[in-house]
Amino acid sequence: MSYIDIAPWRLLIVLALVLVTSLLVSRRAGLGLEQDLVLGVLRGALQLLAVGYLLVALFANDRPEWVLLMLSVMLGAAAWTSARRVESGPGARVLAPRTLLAILLGSAVALVPVFALVVQPTPWFEARYVVPISGMIVANAMNVVAQVNERLFATANAERAEIEQWLALGATPRQALARPVRNALRAALIPTINGLMTVGLVSLPGMMTGQIVSGTAPEHAIRYQIVILYQLVVVAAVSGATATWLARRTLFTKREQLRVLSGRRAPVPSGAARVSEGPRRPSDR
Amino acid sequence: MSAVRLRARDLTVRFDERTVLDGVDFDLDAGALAVIEGPSGGGKSTFLRALATLEPLSRGEILLDGELERGLSPSSYRVRVAYVPQLPVMFPGTVADNLRAGPRLRGVELSDEAVGALLEKVALDRSFAPRTARDLSGGEKQRVAIGRALANEPRVLLFDEPTSALDPASSGEILELVRACVEGGAGVVVVTHARDQALALGGARYVCEGARLSRIEGS
Repeated sequence: MSYIDIAPWRLLIVLALVLVTSLLVSRRAGLGLEQDLVLGVLRGALQLLAVGYLLVALFANDRPEWVLLMLSVMLGAAAWTSARRVESGPGARVLAPRTLLAILLGSAVALVPVFALVVQPTPWFEARYVVPISGMIVANAMNVVAQVNERLFATANAERAEIEQWLALGATPRQALARPVRNALRAALIPTINGLMTVGLVSLPGMMTGQIVSGTAPEHAIRYQIVILYQLVVVAAVSGATATWLARRTLFTKREQLRVLSGRRAPVPSGAARVSEGPRRPSDR
Repeated sequence: MSAVRLRARDLTVRFDERTVLDGVDFDLDAGALAVIEGPSGGGKSTFLRALATLEPLSRGEILLDGELERGLSPSSYRVRVAYVPQLPVMFPGTVADNLRAGPRLRGVELSDEAVGALLEKVALDRSFAPRTARDLSGGEKQRVAIGRALANEPRVLLFDEPTSALDPASSGEILELVRACVEGGAGVVVVTHARDQALALGGARYVCEGARLSRIEGS
């Protein structure tokens, strides 16, 4: 198998291309994104370079503890990122253990059977397979969990009166939150399902493209891609459902009262319990 | 002497550092009416929400017909102690869907006849049943909210400022409904900031101020 190697200096051509075009658009349209663009372009390249060399080292020393460490870092970063993206909830520090659990559970259900029965790397911890495939799955879980949490906590805030009215009629938290949960899960799953519908028609997925470019026969590459696509659905469903379950536990007290989670307590008539982690730092936003 | 239906002992609610309700004792007999007056921020709405168990207590206990609220599941307590908020929220769907909401949570489906009877109880025509609940006027919504609470056949009804958003004509009709609930044998607590309304309703009058509740002499 052979492929065209990209010499490092040629990356500068793409760097120039991205900077010139995006900065031009940003400046012309007055977007004010110049600083973010430059930072993003450089940071993205540096992160990838770092992870590239890390993978080189990992492949050279295929040892289970290193692979597990790498997976742990991935999970931790995904959980923290997911928790930080939620603006209406109880704050990143309260949310992070819950997002970690949701991402971990969904990823385990999506990954373990596939590595054990479908891809079957030998040894089981072979980094070349375990790290990139896990990365794609964990990333999808991160997005789904962030979206479910953001939507649920925002809805609980905005529709507080309606949820409390359900409670007052004798609804359990599960019943009182049924409609927001349904909407949040549906919204979080739709992008993954849309991905299934349009794959191959609009674009070739990244993993398949990479394999084809590096010389894998397309008929082999698609098998991997099908596995990944299905895993993405599994992780979205399991992580999303776990996130809704955990969000419900965060939103209600043991005596089934709706907590006030974000910001100042509302005026007395609509006040209620709250979860607080102290003053929120700007970096938690 | 009639039995105490709802008893609150040492009810205390704190929001962070602020004490909103401080050691309140309160008894309500079956078929009795209590009207709570008081200034804004005095704690009267919080008191009502605490009785509805929508507000966590820092201290104190509530007994319903001698049974500790903590010993019941929150759902079964709330079915027996109905709470009608200041601004009624209509659930999506028809008026009939709203009236059926409470019993439906426990797997009971009210018949069309039962829905019609509830509408009559809250002085609405039976033709309201198929109408979209969110399209109703403020007064009509308030009636549906009361009917929705009555569908659970509660022993106690808690009304938070039931007429604050209504015109005088609708207000009078809602107050009639409140009186009918008392005559029907339920214990009823009404929170209001309007003195004339409190006087018009009758019953025992209380004032909630500075996180304390006290009975007005002679009421």
